[in-house]
Amino acid sequence: MDLKTYILRRLALMLFVLFGIIVITFIVSHVIPADPIGAILGPQAPPELIEKVRREWGFDKPLPEQFVDYMVNLLHGNLGKSIRTNKPVAEDLMKFFPATIELATAAMIVAIVIGIPLGIISAVKKDKWPDHISRIFALMGVSMPVFWLGLILLFVLYYQLGIFPGPGRLDPGIETPPRITGILTLDSLITGNFEAFTNAVWHLILPSFVLGYYASASITRITRTSLLEVMTQDFIRTARAKGLSERVVLFRHALRNALIPTTTVIGMAYGSLLEGAILTETIFAWPGLGRYSTGAFLSVDFLAVMGSTLLIAVIYSVANLVVDILYAFLDPRIRYA
Amino acid sequence: MSGKDWIIVIVLLIVGLLIGYFAAGPGKTTTVTVTQTSVKTVTVTRTAGAPPAPTTTKTTTTQPKARMKTPADTLIIAMDTSDAVSMDPARAYEFTSCFVVNQLYDKLVDFELPDLVNVKPEVAEKWEVSEDGKVWTFHIRKGIKFASGNPLTADDVVYSLQRVIKLKQTASWVLTQFVSTPEQIEKIDDYTVKITLDKPVAPSFFLATLTFTTSAVVDKQVVEAHAKNGDMGSDWMTDHSAGSGPFVLEKWDREAEIVLKANPYYWKPGQPAVKRVIIKHVPEPTDQLLLIKKGDVDIATDLTAEQVKQVEGTPGINVIKVERTHIVYLGMNVAVKPLDKEEVRDAIRYCIDYDSIINDILLGAAIKWQTVIPKGLLGANPKTPYKKDVAKAKELLAKAGVANGFTIELTTPPTYPQIDIATKIQADLAECGIKVKIVQMTQSEMYEKYRKQGLQLVLAGWGSDYPDPDNNAKAFGDYRVKQLAWRNSWYDDHAADLAEKAAVEFDNSKRKQMYLELTDYILDHGPYAILYQTLAQHVARDYVKNYLPDPTFFLEDLSKVSKAGGS
Repeated sequence: MDLKTYILRRLALMLFVLFGIIVITFIVSHVIPADPIGAILGPQAPPELIEKVRREWGFDKPLPEQFVDYMVNLLHGNLGKSIRTNKPVAEDLMKFFPATIELATAAMIVAIVIGIPLGIISAVKKDKWPDHISRIFALMGVSMPVFWLGLILLFVLYYQLGIFPGPGRLDPGIETPPRITGILTLDSLITGNFEAFTNAVWHLILPSFVLGYYASASITRITRTSLLEVMTQDFIRTARAKGLSERVVLFRHALRNALIPTTTVIGMAYGSLLEGAILTETIFAWPGLGRYSTGAFLSVDFLAVMGSTLLIAVIYSVANLVVDILYAFLDPRIRYA
Repeated sequence: MSGKDWIIVIVLLIVGLLIGYFAAGPGKTTTVTVTQTSVKTVTVTRTAGAPPAPTTTKTTTTQPKARMKTPADTLIIAMDTSDAVSMDPARAYEFTSCFVVNQLYDKLVDFELPDLVNVKPEVAEKWEVSEDGKVWTFHIRKGIKFASGNPLTADDVVYSLQRVIKLKQTASWVLTQFVSTPEQIEKIDDYTVKITLDKPVAPSFFLATLTFTTSAVVDKQVVEAHAKNGDMGSDWMTDHSAGSGPFVLEKWDREAEIVLKANPYYWKPGQPAVKRVIIKHVPEPTDQLLLIKKGDVDIATDLTAEQVKQVEGTPGINVIKVERTHIVYLGMNVAVKPLDKEEVRDAIRYCIDYDSIINDILLGAAIKWQTVIPKGLLGANPKTPYKKDVAKAKELLAKAGVANGFTIELTTPPTYPQIDIATKIQADLAECGIKVKIVQMTQSEMYEKYRKQGLQLVLAGWGSDYPDPDNNAKAFGDYRVKQLAWRNSWYDDHAADLAEKAAVEFDNSKRKQMYLELTDYILDHGPYAILYQTLAQHVARDYVKNYLPDPTFFLEDLSKVSKAGGS
């Protein structure tokens, strides 16, 4: 099977997965004993008003009918309207997602820059002090709550030392560049607004470090483990026996093989970063998808919940696929079947 | 231990120290070095009829001041704005939406904080009401201009109110409870508007509801220019403004910030005092604390009670406390035995340690209040007869024939401080022999059940939709309106009749008497234990002048707030 057929087959499979997810989320979000209209109208709203609004939103219809309505709309590319924001869900997602992409991408860069070198050092200097330090560093990354680390960094680096700016994406005095992609760093560059660009980057550093550090831990560990495993293989012994320098053995022979599991971890980590680093977004007042979907969950905003879940599911599936395809480039022995 | 283990131990120690340092709270580390406090705690108290000026309870001289970090002509507020839905006055019903809408629009009449009893003219400079109390004539102030430059006339007033009735959005009931059809609002001439009510109500009641943001006057021409598909501009109005208020909505970046700029045509001379207001969406209270302490924002509105205690004592920061028109109560469903017996309900009221809830759990972010109309409103009844008295409670239980106690469910949302209060009530009631089983439910799930009379004991709150006692009197006293009395199955015709009569009483002093009588009656016979009235505790830098937190959620007026001198 060639790559094209493989991708097509995977995409077809993806549709099934997504359909399953839609069915499950739909049922779960509609049978929980909470009332979205009551939630949005508040505890004081008179019963007649609640009934009226419920009818307007079509929540009085039988569940199967609501589901068919939803699917028909979905096939027309319509994700429905959010009860909370009163805007089309697709529009909301497009508004909030770029902030998350920006943060997640920056975090991923941080994670890779920290994770892979640390993993390599750790493996090369196995059981020596660089290994211990990098492993402790990694251990702290996974075990420190993001919430806590975020607050500590804000307290020390923003409040005490004043090196970094406080929560938010831009200082209040800085004019937000016109929205082109929604990614502030990109928009400010495109419009040539360098003041906004530097400010946006400056604001991006702490949250992306917090998030990236967390993700880097798993990258460090998987790089170390797989590198150690590869180093015991026969072809490494052969390479060494040929008289290749340790450097060439490591970077040309071992690392390339060792990075395959790392790629999986990176792909999945990116997926989960995009899914919305809810806590990081809350701590750093970052208006992204995580915050949008949490808000939607809390106010039982069905369609917004469905829309964000669907978006996340698509991201995961695509990340999965991309990882699988990347394998081929890293290891030509892998064939798609 | 090997070398590796030592390193782990050392790192763990360092992390532990950091945790301890942080848990102790950032405030403590900074206040240790402060030798002279300059905190000012301003407490605003209101009594019905006579609005006293804010009183400063504790003041010491301020230290030499540091520079103001934020721009002098921009007011920056840190606030959790996640509830905001729409800035259209016909739609706004949430805290943030109404807070903002009130800066963008003028209403026919308004309250001037902290007075919540005497309605003041705004767009209407005077008004008359017919003898039967049904026909109101409002005389519109001449010379008011919208932010577009258009003059405000009777056409705009008629359009705005009719728009609310036609659009039938969430908050429309505040108006439509008196005026059910658009035709009842008429233009007499360019500066006179006539409103005919469905049936007569107490004048003070009708006027108080007109201070709610649904009655904001919108610029007819601008709104109509943006109307599509018969929505009367509602879609556009979600994040734009067309008002004559002190500010104009410059932009609303959802989940990030709301920016207001001064309305150049605002009719009150010298106002607004600042050119811009930036309401930064900061959902995390700890962030708000860091921002206000650092001076990167001027006002923070959502600090926890613990954090407020922490900043009290920080130079350059004022804590401003205002009683909110919001009470928290324990509801007792009379349909559930043995809550049907008055003695049992009374016994429960005597089991609860109110002071401990206020001081130990809420850390002082509330005042003791036990009647159903909050302090500050007409007819507010200051009686607080209930205090923890286990012997008396047991005596009452014995009288009711349940000397050995009983088991009952208490439903609460799974949030702070409700959980702590529920646990405290559980412990208090246990001392009287009543076994309480706590059931946790999300707010939306809880209200869904509550509305269907499906709860036994419930921990809930009630905020006034407009500063008139009717809102609370009917909800708590009149089962026919299907609100709290009904949800607790308390079908008491005496209370219901009294609430109805008071709503149509023209004489304000008689009306006040009726509410005192009603609140007394509910205090003794009703299905509630009122636990406390909440306190808004806002924190502002000391250079912020004339800022007064809103006791309701739609009367905040930022037009006089200025920044001067200070640190």
